[in-house]
This record gives sequence, C-alpha cells and structure tokens, in this order.
Amino acid sequence: MAIQSPVVLLVVTYSTAARGTLRNVCRTHEEVVVRRFGRVALLAETEFAAFQALRLRAKHGGDVQVERTRPFNEYEAVDASVREAAAAYEDRDRPALPYATFADGSEHPDPERMRDTEL
Amino acid sequence: MSEQGRLSLELDGEGASGRAVDLRARGADPERVAAAVRAESADGDDGGGGCHGPAVDCRSPRAVHDHVGFVRLGMGVRVRTALAAAARSRGGEAPQDETLADVREALSSLTVPAPPDLDAPRERLAGTDDAVDRIRERVAALRGRVQAGREAGRDVSDLAAELTEATRELSERETERAAAREAVERAERLARESRDARERRRRLEDRRANLERRARAHLVDRIREEYERALAGVPGGPDAADDPFAVEGVTAALAVGRVAEFRAPVVVACDRFTSVEAAAEWLDAPVIRV
Repeated sequence: MAIQSPVVLLVVTYSTAARGTLRNVCRTHEEVVVRRFGRVALLAETEFAAFQALRLRAKHGGDVQVERTRPFNEYEAVDASVREAAAAYEDRDRPALPYATFADGSEHPDPERMRDTEL
Repeated sequence: MSEQGRLSLELDGEGASGRAVDLRARGADPERVAAAVRAESADGDDGGGGCHGPAVDCRSPRAVHDHVGFVRLGMGVRVRTALAAAARSRGGEAPQDETLADVREALSSLTVPAPPDLDAPRERLAGTDDAVDRIRERVAALRGRVQAGREAGRDVSDLAAELTEATRELSERETERAAAREAVERAERLARESRDARERRRRLEDRRANLERRARAHLVDRIREEYERALAGVPGGPDAADDPFAVEGVTAALAVGRVAEFRAPVVVACDRFTSVEAAAEWLDAPVIRV
C-alpha cells in the first residue's frame, strides 16, 4: 500500500443498494480502502479512490455522501484548557458526576461555552 | 376446500370443469395456464383481439401460489419463504405482524426530499478560489514592485494605478467567492436534510427486513414438522432429506403445497402422480394438469 496521506475520503451510504455497491467496490479495490465500517468507508486520498467514490455517487445519487476528512490535532484545534478538562474529568473520583457540575466553580471550561465555540 | 373445490376453465372456446382437470391432450401451454390462474379476472378483459388463451374462472390466488402454485420441472423454491406463505394461507400470524404493519406504514408515509444540485455551486466555488488566489498573488507582486520603485525614487504612478485596479478586482473576486461559498453551504444544508430522511428510511427498511425475517422464522417454526412429514411422503421424492430446506424444487413445492391452503387451482406439470385426482387429493386443492 502506498504511503498514507493524512487526508482521506469518507464515503457514507444511505440505502441497501448503495451499501451493497460500496461493499463490492471495497472488495474489488482493497488498495483504496483505508477502513470500512458496514455502510461507511474511508478511502485513500488518491484520484482512483475519488473515481470510485464518484462512480458510487453517479449510480446512487443522494444515497451516497462523499466528504474529505483530515486528522484531528488537539494541540491545533483546541486550547490547553479543553485538553486538560477532558483528562481531569476522566480521572474524576465520582463516576456519576456530570461534567457541568464537575466544571462548575473550577477552572475547567463551561460546557455551554464549549458548545458555542467552533473549532 | 369445499365450495371452491371445483374449477371451470375455457381453452380454445371449449370448457372444462371439475376438481381435477387434465389438459395434456389439448396441448395447453403450461406457462399460459398458470398465468391465467393468476390473472386478475378471467372473464373481465378477455374480449379484446380474439385471444384464445386459456381462461380460468377462480378466486384470486393467495401469496403461497406464487411460490408453489405452478409445479414444473427445474423450478426453484425458496422453502422458508414458501413455508411462511403456506402458514399465512392457513391464517397463521406472527407476533411481529403488528409492528411490521406500523413500520411499513411509516415507510410508505416517509418522504425523502430530492438531493439538491451540489455540482453547480461546487464548481462555481472551485473557480472563484482559483481566481482569488491568482489576483491575490498579483496584488502582492504589484505591491512589492511599487514599494521597490518608491524606495529607488522611480515614478510608480502607473504601477500604483495597476495596484489599485488589482486590489479592486481582488475585493470583487472575494465577494464572488463569499457568495459561492454561501450557495454551497445552502446546498449542503439541503443535502443534509435529504440524507437525514434517507437515514430514517434506511433504518426503517433494516427494521422491516429484520421483522420480516423473524416473522418468517416464527411461521416456519410452526409448520415445519408438518412440512417434514409431507416431505417424507411426496410421491417420487427422496427417501431421506438431510436438509429439509434444501430439496429439489418439485419435491419442495409438493411438500409445501400439501401443508398450504390454496384458494385457486394448482397448475401441475410433472409426472409425480398416477392421476390428476391423486394430485388434487395430495394437495387438497383443485388441480389443472398440463
């Protein structure tokens, strides 16, 4: 397999027929498949993979969604406070404690504020 | 099977009736006879074109007829599906029926919006991106030359005018790009709505398939022993079957047919019985031998 580009194509199918074609494409062209989960597949970032994705879309129209994904780097995407809060919350003493309560009165970011903040 | 225990039919203008009718001597095409049994109404639309095909006067067949109502050599029978239909023909029900009806209803009332045209806005956006990049490079280059010219004390008025024009064009292209982006975002929003509906439909379809499988398993389970007994007694059938669900088509059809309740005559095109009457007796249904 070629060196993996960090970007991949995400193909999601929304019908039994489209899922069947995706499965066939993945079986026939293993080299373009980075990962397949049932009716979803991650394809390599090559023109040939894009060709297969477009072929699926040409055949099944709106039942096929093609997106491009890129790796998530938490050191680029979010502040240290978010990373620290995630680690601290998973290390909490009381498993039943909701995050909102956990964050309240601490230095950890407020969940509502995080909801309103885009990456 | 009492009142509908007899059948009457017409072939080439000649009638025949009884519980067991043999058409072999009349050279009837088996396919056409079977089609006539399954036709909506035998006497309704027969008038056109002087068609002398067979017309069978009978009640409309139940679903099980599609599976085993026309017994001929080389036929394939999906035994489980046929057995479930046989169970249904006898009024059999499955615990999944009610939910299944709900899911089918939900599916038929679900509307999936057509996906929006994403191609045109995407293409337009891709073009504007290129245009912005090109003109931005040009602005940067001009700015550099104006600056260098000024530092060297040269007359830069022409270059400055070019820079002003390029800057104006850059802002125009950026506006175009913003509009194109908005158009793509709008189309993507519509595409998401369409996909949400498709996802709901897919889940319902999966659910329906799952319920259908379970209902079928339930129905098959109830009728399986009876079917296996029938299978053991099918005339001309194998002495023993390792897998009762993987037997040859005619044998399977005759065994399923014995446990089914037919509303319309069974069309039989095989030599398993000594007489047409014997076939009618085995199937407990009116039979047309072709």
